[in-house]
Amino acid sequence: MQDRSILRPLGIFLLLALAWLGCGFVVQDAYWRLMLTLVPIWALLGVAWNIFSGYSGLVSFGHAAFFGLGAYVVALGQARLGLTPWLGIPLGALIGGLAGAAIGYPTFRLRGNYFALAMLAYPLMLVSLFSWMGFQEVSVPLHRERPGWYMQFADGRVYIAIALALLAIGFIASLLVERSRFGLSLLAIKQNELAAEAAGIDTVRWKLRAMVLSGALAAAAGGLYAVVLLVVTPNSVFGLVVSAQAMILALFGGAGTVWGPLIGAAVLVPLGETLQAELGHLLPGIQGVIYGVAVITVILAAPEGLYWKLRDMRRPKVPAAAPVTPAPATMSPDAPCPPVGEPILEVTGLSKSYGGVGAVSDVSFTVRQGEILGIIGPNGAGKTTLFNLLNGLVQPSAGEVRFEGRNLAGLRPNRICRLGISRTFQVVRAFPRMSVRENVVVGAFVAQSTDEAATRAAEAALADVGMAHRAHATADTLTNRELRLMELARALASGPRMILLDEPLAGLGSTDTDALMDVVRTLPARGITVVIIEHSMPAMLSLVGRLVVLDNGRLLADGPPHEVVRQPAVVEAYLGRKWAKADAEG
Amino acid sequence: MNNKILTRRGLGRIAVIASAAGLARPALAQAPREIKIGLVTPLSGAWAKSGELSRMGMEMAVDEVNRDGGIKSLGGARLRLVTGDCGDSPEKAKSAAQRLLSQEPDIVGGAGAYVSSFTLAVTEVTERAGVPWFTLSYADAITNRGFRYVYQTSPTAQTQAEEGLPTLVELAEKTTGRKPTRLGIVMDNTASPVNFTRGLRDGGAQKLGMQIVVDETFTPPLADAGPVMQRVRSARPDILLLLPTAVPDIKLTLEKLNEIGLGKGRLPAINNGGPMGSPDLLRVVGKDMLEGVMFITATWGNKNTQALNDAFRERTGEAWITQDSLSNYAHVMILRDALEAAASTDRDKVNTAIRAMDSTTGAATLFPGGRVKFDERGRREGAALVIAQWQNGVPVSIFPADSAVAQPIWPRR
Repeated sequence: MQDRSILRPLGIFLLLALAWLGCGFVVQDAYWRLMLTLVPIWALLGVAWNIFSGYSGLVSFGHAAFFGLGAYVVALGQARLGLTPWLGIPLGALIGGLAGAAIGYPTFRLRGNYFALAMLAYPLMLVSLFSWMGFQEVSVPLHRERPGWYMQFADGRVYIAIALALLAIGFIASLLVERSRFGLSLLAIKQNELAAEAAGIDTVRWKLRAMVLSGALAAAAGGLYAVVLLVVTPNSVFGLVVSAQAMILALFGGAGTVWGPLIGAAVLVPLGETLQAELGHLLPGIQGVIYGVAVITVILAAPEGLYWKLRDMRRPKVPAAAPVTPAPATMSPDAPCPPVGEPILEVTGLSKSYGGVGAVSDVSFTVRQGEILGIIGPNGAGKTTLFNLLNGLVQPSAGEVRFEGRNLAGLRPNRICRLGISRTFQVVRAFPRMSVRENVVVGAFVAQSTDEAATRAAEAALADVGMAHRAHATADTLTNRELRLMELARALASGPRMILLDEPLAGLGSTDTDALMDVVRTLPARGITVVIIEHSMPAMLSLVGRLVVLDNGRLLADGPPHEVVRQPAVVEAYLGRKWAKADAEG
Repeated sequence: MNNKILTRRGLGRIAVIASAAGLARPALAQAPREIKIGLVTPLSGAWAKSGELSRMGMEMAVDEVNRDGGIKSLGGARLRLVTGDCGDSPEKAKSAAQRLLSQEPDIVGGAGAYVSSFTLAVTEVTERAGVPWFTLSYADAITNRGFRYVYQTSPTAQTQAEEGLPTLVELAEKTTGRKPTRLGIVMDNTASPVNFTRGLRDGGAQKLGMQIVVDETFTPPLADAGPVMQRVRSARPDILLLLPTAVPDIKLTLEKLNEIGLGKGRLPAINNGGPMGSPDLLRVVGKDMLEGVMFITATWGNKNTQALNDAFRERTGEAWITQDSLSNYAHVMILRDALEAAASTDRDKVNTAIRAMDSTTGAATLFPGGRVKFDERGRREGAALVIAQWQNGVPVSIFPADSAVAQPIWPRR
């Protein structure tokens, strides 16, 4: 988020666009002007694809659906209703956006490859549908009167200008997304959807918004395509080639950046056309082979796309050395602990079974305001499942959870996060390619309405855990301890009233453990109730005010730590019957 | 990227200089020695074969014109064919046309682009450049746009739909003496059959005293033709419009037709479109399966084209001349006549000459209807249909009778 202004990239874009338009004035011949028009149209489709797939990481094989709808709205609107493309293209964009919502809503139930394959079905369906409706060939009529009103210009430069104007809209939309919580939320979803959801991001809503925006832009590109080509057939606008084109341009140029599709279109569209024109009649089909080989070669050499490769070459990949002395955590570990107060979380008869196996069976306990409650139990006791039930990742088979008197049944993790429960994970779920600060900002969106406030909250949270000096490092360069602290900061940035820590000390050495425990100890003083799962018994005994013990999914004990660990049942669960007996006798 | 733009700029400049030089040439200079005519057609992709056949036809015509002394009114100027590849999409077709006209700014006329949607895209370019353009494509839209430089030598899709069945009924009556009453339709849902049959269902068949007894539409590819053809068998039509467009579907339906004992002309089966008569289809589907199958087309080899057919076979090694080659051969000949009449390579003068043309000799004899005269929309007047039938591994024209080369095989019950 350090580079929030869109003015600089926009300025560069406008300069390039002007230069591009200038080329239209330099070349006199209609063919090159047609090329100068087609490149920005395809670039716009690539930008549209990138807004959805590039940022969210959900690959869409189906953007031809939107492109084709836009093309058909413009072509049919003009041929049948006399609708000018000046209105037809915005109308197409509107319909494309609606289609985005209609397609996205059911399809987001699927993930990964299944999502990509399902997306493939929509344009294929539309090919059949439009053929069935008798639109195998829609030709835009020629208007000798009022050609300008019908976007039929004799001068090819006008089309270049219109295409560039539409691309500019797409570019600005893409920049606004990239540099706001919209894009950061999508990036978070891309890198770890589960963590994003747990950090309070409403993943479905953001994906839907991205799909709607993306659909609208793709449809606008399709609309202008129909204006330029004047002929629309189902296969030329809904065909697999169109969807593939959108994807190839963005991946070739670099997905996840607004420049990627522009680079892709500027290189590949002229290349493909030149190959077709120069080689097509000499050795039919060879153009496709060369085009394919060129794309494969570049993808092999620059798997993330040209843009990222060029950027990596310009800036050395090794990050600047971090300051040697970490700033101390701003919170004093010696802050007085507030007295334990009213119940904040009430768990009653909570159960979760998978088939016949009860992962959690009939567990009831209460967490009080301001306390640090530890949950222990041998491996497989159901501790993490319990957390998943508490924050909504898993829905209980029976029982209920009340937080501040409110029943949490059926709420998705991002809602529960909004209510004030945040959590960390046993295995750190970071957003590896984002900076530490961005990682934490994602957590802050829940509580803050503006991006500025979210950034401030994130910086405060980083300072709280003593990570302010690492704010600009990317997450994949952090040590294990730093990752744990960052995740804690992300959980704190949402301003929770309760925090669930799942084995925050796993894999840490003793000095690292102390650093982390010092931070955790201060949380009740800030009004944050803590529930912590941990295996390290010394750490737990020194940290928590009360222990809950689980075994085989059942509640075994609940009470002050030193009493609980002496109960025979607890010792037996941990060490076996023999030791329990020895312990009792000794 | 900058380099690329510079090259483009360079190319543009060269084109400008070249055309300026052309314009500046003194009027006194001798008539041009070479006249370029263009062909924009699919030379790669799914329709490459048809494009190739079009090129063969045009090349043959160009060679014949040059052999016979070129354009005499222009001092024996020779014709030269320049081509552009439409590939497999309207976008590529439009680019190809634009590119060809940019690289060869002195083209006086041309032809293409086989697939209707490609032709629509290509003629958007040629019309704006004012290049007289001929096409064998069927879509009505091609000559519905108020264009002034586009000529359609085939009957349009709508004409074919309107004329197709009456023509068939006429043929059946002439051959058997009985009027067929029961019509069957088996088709896929692509543009051509959909347009062809729309009018029949909306009362067209009834008007001819025919009843549609079986009507099956499928989305290609067809997995199994069995159920469809069984329904045909039980409905017992007198004539079957068998209109799949993809070769595998044609093969499947014909195999089934033969399997249920209705092949070899026992149930007159008619398809629509020149590709039904291609030598390639013979290779894929086989002589036995095709025997007796008829198809309606806009041009086919007839009594007047026997010599042409032989010369074409000799020259290309193709088994016979098809609609693509024949039409485009004729297109060159019409252009030649227009050039002779205009005695100029000015496109507008050539265009005027084409508009003024009314001929029943030469190229006109190659088309059904036997006349080359274009109406104000650019449609050839009197463009009629030909029916050809596979007989012994060769598709021969059987209708209209005056130019037919064979008698139809038709069941006389």
